[in-house]
Amino acid sequence: MPIRLRLDRVLLERRMSLTELADRVGVTIANLSILKTGKARAVRFSTLAALCRELDCQPGDLLVYEPGADEPPDEDG
Amino acid sequence: MRALGPGSVSSFLKIILDVVYYALWIGLGALGVVTVLAVLLTFNPALLENVDVKVIVVDGVDLARPWPLLTGGLAAAGLYIGGVLLIVRALRRIFATLTAGDPFHPDNVRRLRVIGLILAGLELGRYLFWMISASMPAVKEVDSDFNLTAWFSVLVVFVLAEVFREGARLRREAELTI
Repeated sequence: MPIRLRLDRVLLERRMSLTELADRVGVTIANLSILKTGKARAVRFSTLAALCRELDCQPGDLLVYEPGADEPPDEDG
Repeated sequence: MRALGPGSVSSFLKIILDVVYYALWIGLGALGVVTVLAVLLTFNPALLENVDVKVIVVDGVDLARPWPLLTGGLAAAGLYIGGVLLIVRALRRIFATLTAGDPFHPDNVRRLRVIGLILAGLELGRYLFWMISASMPAVKEVDSDFNLTAWFSVLVVFVLAEVFREGARLRREAELTI
């Protein structure tokens, strides 16, 4: 999946643990780990909104696009 | 009445399948014992010296040694019951997932495909049995029919397997949506 969630970096910047974030957002640690490790297929807007609220950031601060092997390169260029 | 979950129609059907499953095992065991006896009598008909079964007349044809024919018939019946047993076993496992409220378990796809393959195998086996029966000297006429319903069932089961595969994929997607 070329979309990744930079949860590690944002958590480090906010000096917040995954457990604390899980408690604040109301998502299990297992699900946050799925997000962190890039195994998630999709993120609900409600989850993203809760993450942005608790981490005091914008969706763009969390999400990053990295073209990977599973996606063909842009042929327009 | 609910269709899925504990105490539902699925759990009721699971109980029926359990009963059928164990009855089939008993039937297969009994058939195995009879087949072994028939095999023994094939090689040594003198085992039943006191019983006058050496001459059997089928449609006017005397069969001096009926045991090989009987053994073949019993083996075919055993294979048929074995196939049905495998189908019921797969169905039991599918219904166990339905009873647990998890119909789109990934293993159900494989189970449905196995059921489809066995159904097709049983139907092909039936044709093979006709062909062999027709070549027997004692058999004058074979009551054969091409069962279109059986092949239709095979196709339906394979389509259902694909439906379940799609369901399992969607379930996985839902699991990985945070």
